Amino acid sequence: MQKTALLSFSILALCLGLAPGALAQGDAFAKLIRPTFSKSCVKCHGKGTKVKGKVNLFALKSAADLAKNPELLEKLIEALASAEMPPEKEPPLAAGTRKGLVAELKELLRQAVGSQKSVVRTPIRRMNRFQYNNAVKDLFQLKVEVFPLPEKMMRDYGYFKPETGKMEPKVRVGSRPLGKSQLIEPRLAGVAPFPQDPRAEHGFDNRGDHLSLSPLLMESFLKLSRSIVNSPDFNTKRCGIWKSFFLEPKKAVRAAVKARLRGFLGRAFRRQVDEATLDRYTAYAGKQLDAGRQFTAAMRDVAAGVICSPRFLYLRERGDKGGDDYDLASRLSFFLWGSIPDKPLLDLAAAGKLREPEALVRQVDRLLKDRKLKRFCDSFPSQWLQLDRIISVIPERADNQEFFFGPYRASMHMMLEPLLLFETVLIEDRPITELLDSDFSYRSDLLENWYKGGKAGGPPTAIPFKRVPVTDRRQGGVITNAAVMTMTSSSTHTKPITRGAWLATVIFNDPPEPPPADVPELPEKPVKKDENLTIRERLAAHRDRPDCAGCHVKIDPLGFALENYGPTGLWRDKYSNGREVEPGGTLFRKYEFKNIIEFKDALLAEKDRFTRAFAGHLLSFALGRGLVAADAPALDRIAAASIAKGYRMKALVREIALSEPFLQNSLKKAAD
Amino acid sequence: MTDISRRSFLRGATGATLALPWLEAPAAALGRLAKSPAKKMAIFYVPIGVVRRAFFPGEKEATLPKFRGFDEKNRIKGIQYPSGFSPIEWTPTLGPLKELQEHITFITGLDRTFQSGTDVHAQCASCFISSAAPFTIKTSAWPLDRTLDHLVADQAGKDTPFRTLEFSCNSHKDNKESIYFDNISWYGTGHVAPSLRNPRAAYRRMFQTSGNSQLRNITDLVLSDARSFQRELSSSDRHKFAEYFDSIRAIEERMVKLEKMRGELQKTPLDEPAEAYLPRGEYIRLMGDLMVTALQTGLTHVATLMIGPERWDTPYKYESLFDKPRNHHQMSHNQSKFVEDLEKVDHFHMEQFAYLIRKMSAVRESNGTTLLDNTILTYGSGLGDGATHQYTKLPIVVAGGRGAGLRPSGKHLNCSDGTPLANLWLTQARAMGLELPRFADSSGPISQLLG
Repeated sequence: MQKTALLSFSILALCLGLAPGALAQGDAFAKLIRPTFSKSCVKCHGKGTKVKGKVNLFALKSAADLAKNPELLEKLIEALASAEMPPEKEPPLAAGTRKGLVAELKELLRQAVGSQKSVVRTPIRRMNRFQYNNAVKDLFQLKVEVFPLPEKMMRDYGYFKPETGKMEPKVRVGSRPLGKSQLIEPRLAGVAPFPQDPRAEHGFDNRGDHLSLSPLLMESFLKLSRSIVNSPDFNTKRCGIWKSFFLEPKKAVRAAVKARLRGFLGRAFRRQVDEATLDRYTAYAGKQLDAGRQFTAAMRDVAAGVICSPRFLYLRERGDKGGDDYDLASRLSFFLWGSIPDKPLLDLAAAGKLREPEALVRQVDRLLKDRKLKRFCDSFPSQWLQLDRIISVIPERADNQEFFFGPYRASMHMMLEPLLLFETVLIEDRPITELLDSDFSYRSDLLENWYKGGKAGGPPTAIPFKRVPVTDRRQGGVITNAAVMTMTSSSTHTKPITRGAWLATVIFNDPPEPPPADVPELPEKPVKKDENLTIRERLAAHRDRPDCAGCHVKIDPLGFALENYGPTGLWRDKYSNGREVEPGGTLFRKYEFKNIIEFKDALLAEKDRFTRAFAGHLLSFALGRGLVAADAPALDRIAAASIAKGYRMKALVREIALSEPFLQNSLKKAAD
Repeated sequence: MTDISRRSFLRGATGATLALPWLEAPAAALGRLAKSPAKKMAIFYVPIGVVRRAFFPGEKEATLPKFRGFDEKNRIKGIQYPSGFSPIEWTPTLGPLKELQEHITFITGLDRTFQSGTDVHAQCASCFISSAAPFTIKTSAWPLDRTLDHLVADQAGKDTPFRTLEFSCNSHKDNKESIYFDNISWYGTGHVAPSLRNPRAAYRRMFQTSGNSQLRNITDLVLSDARSFQRELSSSDRHKFAEYFDSIRAIEERMVKLEKMRGELQKTPLDEPAEAYLPRGEYIRLMGDLMVTALQTGLTHVATLMIGPERWDTPYKYESLFDKPRNHHQMSHNQSKFVEDLEKVDHFHMEQFAYLIRKMSAVRESNGTTLLDNTILTYGSGLGDGATHQYTKLPIVVAGGRGAGLRPSGKHLNCSDGTPLANLWLTQARAMGLELPRFADSSGPISQLLG
């Protein structure tokens, strides 16, 4: 079965490739698209009164009607390519027809998007709290954090060395949310943060449409800026630019102010500063000096002002309106470092050379080898995997004694495992398919024990994690680890639909509609008559409404496949009522699987789809906005190029940086 | 308040009377107005609906609803009450209000319209007091525009240090839900007015005036920088960037006003809260105290208090109710099992509302009226039932507001089926002095509420 799956996958891959439509546009609509829609789709989508899923294909009279609606085109391509449509009970499309249709629709979408005049821009937005911390830290070259950041789930005890291209076999890490005193990192005394910025639904916490300002926040920024520069820890020992910026020069004090501000403002505002702006800040510092302030105090004052300026606080994309290499430099550094660009980036931008593909790739590689990459690892993977969900999951104590040790929980260790896997794949530039199925993992003694059914225990702070080979394919990868299995369960039982929705969202970037919640959650304990049913049977009895089937046919098999992992991620063959677990099912109506290993094989067979999905998450994070239909062709190209480079993680990151949505008009300018 | 002073205050707030000759002496008029307590408004938002049968008269014997998503046909139609006023039949959840009957009107029959495309919980909270009619906002999935409190504050908040204050009793540490679950106050589409969640931070924000001169020092500098920055922006970015100026301006104005009030504020009856874990009831009451103090001292005239976030599946400790942390949302989905516990939660929330009514009615204002008299205080939830997720037959209680021309009836007022909740907001907005032709999808004011 596995071979057939792989074979049909390769054929599909060929079909889904970038082969342009074989027919001219008008022809394709008249000869293929319209007749196929009429034959196989309009019965439910537009003819008569039925317009299921708000998709009306009956009303489409020409290719132009379709081209006007890129969102619809994208929806159609997705539904057809994944064989979601037509549904099972309807006559299937011939393989050739489906393939041709997808190719033609993709071509239509490409043309539709290509004819759009302007690039999609992320709206102007303030930095989020994490970015603000990093930017302030980098601007002043602080050796400590600005304020405590629960955003970071992992504390690094010195293992993170991306410049070596290698993760050490043994690393020491701490769990910040659940470990002991993990939030107490060296930081500036007397500085209180503003509230954490929430994630967007199915998105990240850097989204432009979510990051706005209010008097409440503005006041935080004003007070923060003062408390930072006036912290007792803000001194020559912890501030790297103390001597070059804050320390009074021996002579020519006034001249020094302007010279120092020129460099400082350039870094804070991420571009060469114009004279008017420079004069404004210089005059301010001068006024402080005139009023009798000491040099250092005056420079503290002006520095506080600088980090309240919108030129510092706000990120913006100018797109067609004069975007330049400086914008690109910021986009790149906020993508991979969650912070302001450094001198090499700014110098290249000043020379107008950053947009040159070779230079850009060299910079991406440099950023990927810098320790500031940890910020990317502290934000993207945990949000991609939605790992914060594990913080609030507490299994029922009575049935899960082994989960608890002292005041701690096994989840403290669990959450670190997928994060360390992600970091390894990134730092060692491994194929992203290892995120689905890896032959190694990083585990603490607790976790090693745990997977063997042992009890939790161990140190609560700097926990040693060892790289261990994973020979049992039931383990390995970000899906079947104890963290994800635990956080997608309730305190007493697994939640297959939650797991399925997690998988559809995270792995295939195809989040189901928000639960219409037309069906109740399963009661924690089955009612008497259901005691002998499996969870699959109980759920089936629960959801008999046909209008729910559309989504569930997609997400349920994904969740049921993971049923062998109990509510704390432990393997089980049988439920407590003695019934066998039935993990089997069909993925994308194409790959039959009987167990989790075959399921993983099926996922791997769809690795190109995973690559595109993962690229979508990454691109959305890089751009700070949700993706739209217009991004689809770029996403196709990113995925195809990464696939051609052996699915390597760094290749994918490079392709993101070289993509049209990321470069915006920098690319257009280069092409002019 | 005497009739004369009330009428002149009301008229003074409307543009139509500007031509009247006696108003041509503004100083004198202002002097007179300053003596009458200002009209104020506060919203007490209850998340995740209520158990109907313990809340609504006559529904006691109704079968418990099964868990339902938003679906017209699943909603509970409830009892058909006679239109207009009738005596309140005291149900268990309404019980805590019995002694406060003279201050309230219990309102049934108010509906909102769900705009599909977003989560029901997120929309029921974020759009509860939205001024946008459903399906009218094209730039967002949410029918969300400047909310009632902010529209009212455009007028009522001109002279207060804070135009509005937003409080929220959300102590969750996990960052699992988006802003739409945790905010009922919005400056406009997509522009949240974030709430104060930490009592101590709230206290400090309200009462600390030290360090203002240093702040002002910076604001001058960054404002001039912001002006030149703004000129470089595209028009859509410039529109959003207005938030920066608005924020700085609000802070500057507040500093001036706070300084003027300093003497008065030093007499506040509230100590700075300790940085400590608070049991849920104490937490809600403390945030309520802060809100009352803000209204009482004139720090603001408009406030909202969310006593918990929508959905958010993380359990809370309801110390006085249960021995283990409980998940309100999850319980609401399984009424057949948790109904008794849910009723306890609903009752507990109503007790907190009663606490605020009592507290506000004990505060005397300058002319002998009470703070409650001069405040329109509304209890409400965006869901008519936590299990059916219906936007219809919402649980609403309005207290106080005599000073704004409302008349607490002590009765149950039933509006005819399909009356938009927006009618209530329109009534309140007008009472607060706004000349609005309509509010969101309102069809007209609820005249029975007026005195």
